[in-house]
Amino acid sequence: MELKIRKSGENYIIDVNGEMDLYNSYRLKELVMKMLEKKVERFIINLENVDYIDSSGIGALIYICSTIKKMNLKLVITNIHGSVKKVIELTKLMGYFPITQTIEEALQRMEA
Amino acid sequence: MTNENLVNGILEIRVDENSPLFDKTGMLHKEFPSDFRQIRYFTLLIVQSAPPDIKEINLLEQQISEIIKNAVKHGNKCDVEKKVRVWYSFSPEHAHLVVEDEGEGFRDLEKWNEFNRRRQSCLDSGDYEKLADFVSFRTIKSDDNDGGNALFAALEYWNGGFVFNQKRNCIAMLKRFPKRRLGVSVEGES
Repeated sequence: MELKIRKSGENYIIDVNGEMDLYNSYRLKELVMKMLEKKVERFIINLENVDYIDSSGIGALIYICSTIKKMNLKLVITNIHGSVKKVIELTKLMGYFPITQTIEEALQRMEA
Repeated sequence: MTNENLVNGILEIRVDENSPLFDKTGMLHKEFPSDFRQIRYFTLLIVQSAPPDIKEINLLEQQISEIIKNAVKHGNKCDVEKKVRVWYSFSPEHAHLVVEDEGEGFRDLEKWNEFNRRRQSCLDSGDYEKLADFVSFRTIKSDDNDGGNALFAALEYWNGGFVFNQKRNCIAMLKRFPKRRLGVSVEGES
């Protein structure tokens, strides 16, 4: 799994590439925690290039989401598709996570 | 088609030593040491015997990997001297597995079912704020890498049953795939 950060205005987009599984999902959690320490307030997690997620990956997203909600900061998860979407649906968390279909929609939601 | 795990409208993990899902007749068998680093590799060794046209094979692989992970990590505590035994059979219409570890068994099963009932109640009422307390099942043995959500998805996915034996160290599960007509999935059959 590869993680890349880019900036769009005040928003930090994290592009996740590869598989979010039991061996590497903690890295996304650690990255977001480090960004929070650096006072980043607006996160977009882009899962466009993620074709596999397991319960550790979902767990990392839950941890990130609940931490950011508690801090009253902003998070959107975007470009969920294929089996990643299916696993989140099976876990019934589509309504719990702040999700948009595209990065453009995510950026719009950040301004709302 | 009814799901055996549906109790009063809510899915539950059941204990039923006599479930026909434990009948291993004609199933393939493999056993592995409880090596955490090789969980996905072991899973691939099993899934490679599934027919390539099986529905959503990535999802099947992920769901099997979760069960093997539970056996390796929570059952056998990653003790490489302890084995995980897997019996399996696949066709385009079904996936049937029995997974056994050498651990003490899933002691928190009743707590898990109660946690899941409360989680389902939050989902039914659309109370996503309260749901935050029920997105991850934790025990005193959970660590930071445990998502605590694998069994929620498993119970939904294994639509033909998901049952433990009496000792709770062996689980049997069945997935029924939609019947295909002329290569097209039939609506409503899942």
